Amino acid sequence: MMKMQANLKDREFKLSFADFYSKYGYIISFIVLVFIGLYFNKSFLSINNIMTLLVQASVKGVIAIGLTFAITCGLFDLSLGSQVAFIAGMGVVLYNAIPSIPLTLLFMLAFGCVLGSVNGLLVAHFSMPPFIATLATQAAYRSIITQLGAEGPFEINRAYLEQFRVVATGSLLGIPYMVWIFAIVAALGGLVLNRTKFGKYVTAIGSNANAARLAGINVKGIKTMVYVLTGCMAGLSGFLLTARLTSITAANAGLQFELDGVAAVAIGGSAMSGGRGRILGSFFGILMLQMIESILIAAAVPPFLSGLVKGIIIIVAVLIQDRPSSR
Amino acid sequence: MIVEMKKISRIFGSAYALKDVDFTVGSADGSGEIHALLGENGAGKSTLMNILGGVLPPTSGDIFVDGNKVEITSVKRAKELGIRFVHQELSMFNHLRVYENMFIGEELTKSGLLDQNKMIQMAEETLTNLGININPRTVVGELDMPSKQMIEIARAVRTKSKLIILDEPTSSLTNKEIQALFSIMRNLKEQGVNLIFISHKLPEIMEICEKYTVLRDGSVVGTGLIKDVDENMITDMLVGRKIYRGKVEKPKVPHNPCLQVKDFTLEPYFRNISFELNRGEVLVLTGLRGDGRAQLAEALFGVTKVTSGQMLKDGKPVNLKSIKSIIDSGIGMIQRNRKERSIIPDMSIIDNLSIANYVAKHKKPLINFKEEEERFRKNQAITNIKAANPLNPITSLSGGNQQKVIFSRWLEIDRDIYIMDNPTQGVDVGAKQEIYNIINDLAKKGKSMIVFSEEYPEIYQIADRVLVLYDGSIVAELSRDELSENKVMYYATGSSIRKAANK
Repeated sequence: MMKMQANLKDREFKLSFADFYSKYGYIISFIVLVFIGLYFNKSFLSINNIMTLLVQASVKGVIAIGLTFAITCGLFDLSLGSQVAFIAGMGVVLYNAIPSIPLTLLFMLAFGCVLGSVNGLLVAHFSMPPFIATLATQAAYRSIITQLGAEGPFEINRAYLEQFRVVATGSLLGIPYMVWIFAIVAALGGLVLNRTKFGKYVTAIGSNANAARLAGINVKGIKTMVYVLTGCMAGLSGFLLTARLTSITAANAGLQFELDGVAAVAIGGSAMSGGRGRILGSFFGILMLQMIESILIAAAVPPFLSGLVKGIIIIVAVLIQDRPSSR
Repeated sequence: MIVEMKKISRIFGSAYALKDVDFTVGSADGSGEIHALLGENGAGKSTLMNILGGVLPPTSGDIFVDGNKVEITSVKRAKELGIRFVHQELSMFNHLRVYENMFIGEELTKSGLLDQNKMIQMAEETLTNLGININPRTVVGELDMPSKQMIEIARAVRTKSKLIILDEPTSSLTNKEIQALFSIMRNLKEQGVNLIFISHKLPEIMEICEKYTVLRDGSVVGTGLIKDVDENMITDMLVGRKIYRGKVEKPKVPHNPCLQVKDFTLEPYFRNISFELNRGEVLVLTGLRGDGRAQLAEALFGVTKVTSGQMLKDGKPVNLKSIKSIIDSGIGMIQRNRKERSIIPDMSIIDNLSIANYVAKHKKPLINFKEEEERFRKNQAITNIKAANPLNPITSLSGGNQQKVIFSRWLEIDRDIYIMDNPTQGVDVGAKQEIYNIINDLAKKGKSMIVFSEEYPEIYQIADRVLVLYDGSIVAELSRDELSENKVMYYATGSSIRKAANK
């Protein structure tokens, strides 16, 4: 009896250690990265540099927040980068016709929802594997916008350029708008995933879809809504990207955003097989990717090799996180 | 061929699954026989056949084939001896063709390449010989269940098997398909092949078999010729004379229906299922494996759709559109096979408990941790969940405590009617008794329950009334006064049907 109790205690300790590791492991990596950053750039921790990193991270950051929901639900979205290009290109066309920033933002979000719901339809109602469905839409969306943009990049009309630029350059209380937006989206994402029924359903479906269905959850509906949400985040990302660049090249805009998104989610400790999502982890994840990029530049590593570094980071992050919770 | 198993024992952990079992099939003169192997769930049938089929080694005992002692160390060795086990879950490659399946692992080649023509021709010969009308070039995935079963048997025949073990081959077949299977079995017998036929359905056994062996609790309790016995005698052998300690008294439940199920049909699983459930009643539906209960339980909760039938709750039709609509009408369900169908392994104990509440009742925009913890504490007091920290993952709990969390999940949303499919599966004895108490207390509070169970001790603990299913139909209704294990077994094996047919 005594022995059994001792065993029980051991088990609990191990459980909580594994839990801690998967929950906060990324913070350890984050601190390590900061030191590496300081080694190459003495002003790495200056307010200026931090803000630059955050502004750069925000465009992909909102994508990573949306993708966290999809991965937690056991889904995947390879089409996000193409969605960003499609939405941003169309957004520029609209803005040039009717130069209203709120209208453009609204349109981009709504258009993202529409593109996402196509994925949702394919995956939830036609039971296509998420990888295949979103690989197909990735190709399709990119193809449409490239064709539409065959005559040159989508550029914001010079007459209305400045007011749009403000989104990227303006700030409130010394913090850039873009950082505000990213932080608010991340905070809202965390709230939704952890404190609402929707978030619980997303997690339950990713963990055991059958049990979720038998508990009365509308699995198809929730999956569709997750894709609508990731699409909406692609819309927001497209909006931020347009503000930063003011010119959208159809073939390149948002290219491989999904890669950075997945890397961020993996680094942040969400389970790649679903059932465990960490929004804060994804927030730090995308920030760390941005830091790595900046460090690579400071260390004069050839830019073509950044993909190699990201690939290695994804592999390492997944290997580390799946050790303690291997089932 | 004659196969003799002598003094076979098999121990799992510290428990005997088989003890000194003698089992003989076939005869020395080379004529075939069809031998029925009977026993309740857990009596040791599968263990014995797994030993014969080379899947499991025996702990002790010897096997003789035609008088020579043999060691059946692997499935491959069993095949070499001419023994073939056709499992209930068919092991077919759906994307391959019939002949490819029949030659899998034993392909014929000609100068290094597959000799397709030869294989197709040989497969065709075997199929024709058995009277099976299937083109060997057909892709197996396109065939229906019975055809696949026939292919599996044909595969065994092709390899010149002398003893074929058929594990509940009829459980998913219609009557017509069963007759087709039987004619193939008779055909094989004529050709000197021995068949061991495992089935719960006594009418089938009476029809097709000439010998029988009954196992109970890992020992042989009867063996001989079918013509010397009748259904009652076999039922007695299956059940034995068990005595149950702790007599349970339950007052009569007055007739006051809160749920009416009318003509529920989903072929080939069940048909014309009609019954009433009274307020405050525990109604048990029982039977033996393959009786359609699993599908009926699912259909009652909208997990699968029936082809016809309706359900009335308090006189009003229930919308069978979705699980949610049935929950909303006031019905909850505790599923069988907890790990696959109830547990959300990555979520905490609290979330696992609260999930049905989120679906059915939660209205506020946000979830309040305090409230959910109080919800857990309240239910912990009712169902006696032993948990160190409710924020731990549910998988940190023992099976019994996990099941109590699942009970709480549904009790929390306070439905009028609960469907419980095998509610004590994978739960230890102590927790089982606690679950019976929970069920009986619920009935006292006026909740009504439909419990699917196949363990008689369990049925005895909770049932006010029992419906027995056989082959997808309700064949008997037993009140608590009439309840006995022999009666349940008599009806569950379909004996009453055969009686009626003989008259």
